[in-house]
Amino acid sequence: MLLAYRMALASPRVTAAAIEAGEFPRLAEELDVRAVPRIVVNGVPQWDGSVREPVFVERILAPSFE
Amino acid sequence: MPAVFRPDEEPRLRELFDAMERPVELVVALGPEEAPVQGAGDFDFGAETVRIVEELASLSERVTRRVEEKPDGVTMFPAVLVLPAGEDRGLRFYGTPYGYEVASLVGAVLEAGRLVPSLAPESLERLAALDRDLAIDVFVTPT
Repeated sequence: MLLAYRMALASPRVTAAAIEAGEFPRLAEELDVRAVPRIVVNGVPQWDGSVREPVFVERILAPSFE
Repeated sequence: MPAVFRPDEEPRLRELFDAMERPVELVVALGPEEAPVQGAGDFDFGAETVRIVEELASLSERVTRRVEEKPDGVTMFPAVLVLPAGEDRGLRFYGTPYGYEVASLVGAVLEAGRLVPSLAPESLERLAALDRDLAIDVFVTPT
């Protein structure tokens, strides 16, 4: 979660939100959240689990998310 | 209600918050809540979020807090907006940061209190070149 917050602080084009899955079950179901942390970018689920900074940044900025 | 922080955690947190390079404002956004998971009973998520944020802000003058009813741009409640030097940079916590997740909120405050994000220079460089908008949502649970 902290990596996402750090990215939001580093760029005006990035926002970062933690979403407590249990309190928003409809949204969690819509995005098929089964494991946490589940990373969603621009409303599209990407991957589950914690990864190191270079991998996190690489995946978030990957051109396929355009 | 149990204390949000253990007594032995508080001096360290005070020290970290007091040492922040810029102040951080926390805005608790309250509004209509989605029906939570079964078993939550009549737990008041909004009130609990206010309590957690108040306790956090009570540790240092560098952290301030206020409560708003349905502020602009927030559609899920409760939410906590983390504003570095009072500026909205898109940092949010949706839901109640209780249990393990209070660490995410503390981490968000400490990061927001830094003038330069604690990312590697290569990451900062890549982010500086970003030419599109990205909204990162991370689903979490308190357990």
